[in-house]
Order: sequence, then structure tokens, then C-alpha cells
Amino acid sequence: MLDGDFPDVLRLAACGDAAAFARLWRDTHPPLLRYLWVSAGDAAEDVAADVWLDVARRIGSFHGGEQEFRGWLFTMARRKMIDRHRYEARRPVSPTANGELFERPAPDDTVAAALEYISTETALALIATLPRDQAEIVVLRVVVGLDASAVAQIVGKSHGAVRVAAHRGLRTLRERVADATVTSPGRGGVTL
Amino acid sequence: MRVFTASLAEMWFSARRRTRLSPDEATAELMLAGHRLGQQAPASQRTLELVLAAAAGPATERELAGETAAVAAFLAALPEQEPARRRGPRRIPVLAVAFMFIALVALCGTAEAGALPAPLQRLAHQAINAPAPPPAMRAPRPSADVTPGPDVSGTNPASAGSGPSQESRTGKPSTTPKPTHTSASQGDGKPTASASASTQPTTSTTDNGKGNGGTPGQGGSNGNGNGNGNG
Repeated sequence: MLDGDFPDVLRLAACGDAAAFARLWRDTHPPLLRYLWVSAGDAAEDVAADVWLDVARRIGSFHGGEQEFRGWLFTMARRKMIDRHRYEARRPVSPTANGELFERPAPDDTVAAALEYISTETALALIATLPRDQAEIVVLRVVVGLDASAVAQIVGKSHGAVRVAAHRGLRTLRERVADATVTSPGRGGVTL
Repeated sequence: MRVFTASLAEMWFSARRRTRLSPDEATAELMLAGHRLGQQAPASQRTLELVLAAAAGPATERELAGETAAVAAFLAALPEQEPARRRGPRRIPVLAVAFMFIALVALCGTAEAGALPAPLQRLAHQAINAPAPPPAMRAPRPSADVTPGPDVSGTNPASAGSGPSQESRTGKPSTTPKPTHTSASQGDGKPTASASASTQPTTSTTDNGKGNGGTPGQGGSNGNGNGNGNG
């Protein structure tokens, strides 16, 4: 988060300053990519590129703080992701030789891997095993750092629905982690 | 299938186990907000905290690999957003200059037509050698009961317009202001309107069908080619 520097960075980026935009990008792109990876899978980088293109075109018209900027950016990302899902639903792609790359790992394997070495990718893979709406909300809250109200605006749900979904997601996640700890003791799992 | 075969005791224990494992709402909110629970937290919660912290970890090299391309795309998209930002400050001078030019052209045209109010026309006469204001505008207007004369300018507005203007350019105002008749557009030599038509603006299209319709009354008095003849 840029915190106090955000207004200046945003102003300079809106004026076309490449360094300011790069700073904004470095701060916001990783959580954006993680959110899209959980929500859109393999299309994450394409969707993220589209989002940043829109940001570059419309950043001059944006007014608000850092939280509002993130809310604006992730709302765009979510809309593009939904468009992508609709496009793919209209034009289903036949399985190819590397089609297995698009499939998500099974929960048990992911949990076991996460407990062996919890990197960012494995943690995201573990979150991605949740139902899509829960995974999306957990990432927006934990990774992006938005509060429940901002997340509610992005996903178009009520504040209470967002809170319930987040709690359910955490509960499910915790059970899977606990189950993996119990069921795979011989795989070098983390002992806490 | 297990659900149906499990006893009530097993189901109760299962529910208790799940209840015990699930974090309470306050703890969940703390974890969602990124707060650390501390060493006194249950092991399962600390494990979950570890997973969430890893998910929100610092940016990786792979995630930041596209920075150069992103900045290049930003700079490439700049020309599309630059006009939008510059449109405000740049448009005003351009529009102002355009309006001033149009206004100047219109003013000169009107001055050359001799259709300006008398003070302005005098000013234009001194500045750009426009026709002097006609005597009719300086002297009291003639009465309406004037016998219409033959129409000499209706068929040839240019020749009719050159007379007074030359006079005025030479500094010799006309001493015999003549009422203007508006039958010039017909071109048949027959006056079709009374002299009062020259002193009052009219909206008839036949009165000034050949020329400047904006100032029919004034234009007719100086006869400078706006389609109104001198009687």
C-alpha cells in the first residue's frame, strides 16, 4: 500500500508520469494477479493486462483515495473476468494436449503441498479450492486488503453476505488444513 | 451413505469437532484483516494464519516480471488520454480565435455593405475605407409621401450601389437623399412598394431577394448593391 504517497503518485500517473504509474503498478498488480488467478485461472494475466490498459486510459478521470482506487480497479477486473467467462461459455474450447494446465489441483494434494512448503502460489492454490464466491471474497479481503464494505460493492452483495461467505471460506480452509495435517503425517507436513 | 448409518452420538461429536475447529467471527475478522493472532492461538488457527499470510505475501519476481510491458502499454495509451486532458485548456484559445475571426469577417462584411449603425459605420469608414454612413442615417428621414421614381437599380444593383458609395468615399455626401423603393427584385421597373418600406424593416423576401436581407431598410437607403433600388 502506498498510503500517504498515494495522492501524489496518482496525480503524477494521471499526468502521464511513467515512473509514478510503474510504482502504482508494482503496488497493485501482484494482488490483482492473485485475485484473478483464483477467480479466472489461467486467463489471469490476459485479464490483468486488459485492466491496466483501461486504467491507463481512464486514470485521469479517477478521483479518490487508495481504497477507492483499489475498489475501482478490482471492480473493472471482476467485470472483465465475468465477460471472459461468458465469452468462454459461448465458445467452449475443446480440450487440448495441455488442457490439464487449466484444471485446478485436487484439494487434498493442494493442502498437502501447502503444508509442506507454504509459498504464495500454494496458498493461493489452497484458497482456489474453495467455492468460487468464497475464494473471491477471501482473496479480496486478505490479499487485496479491502474491508467488507468495499468487497460488498465489488461483488455486488450485501455486507452481511460478504461476511458470511468470508467466514465460511475460512472455516472450510481451516478444516482442510486440519484434515491434511491429520491424514498426511508422513509427508513432512508442518507440525504446529 | 455414512450420514444415514452414523449414530446420533457420532453426528453430535462430529458437529462438536467442527464447531471447535471453526474460528469464531471475531477471530475470523482479525484474520481477514491481517492481524496476527499470537502464540496463544490454537494450532489450527495458526496454520490457517500461515496460509493467509503466504497468500498475502510480498510480490514475487514472476508477478513483477511484466512491469516493463505494462509501462510501455501505459505510454502507448497516453496519446489516447492526452487529448482528453488537454482538450480543456487548448480548446478555449482555438475557439476564441475562431469566434473572433468569424466576428471580424462578419463585421467587415457588414461594414462594406454599409449596414452598420451610423457611428460604427463612420468608424469603419475611417478605419477600413468602408462606405460612409448614408445621409439618410444622419439627416432626418424623408416623409413617406414620396413619389416613387423609376427603378434604375433593381436590374443592376452593382451600378446602383456604386453611386452613393463613391460619393461617400470622396467625402461628398449626397445632398438629395432619395427614398428607396423595394421593387428592385422584380426588375420590371415598376415600383411595388411605397416609400415607407424603405424606412421600416420588412420581412418580405421579394424586397431584398437579391441581396443582403439582414438590414433591408438601411441597405436600401445607401443602395450599395443589396438588392434595393434608389427611387
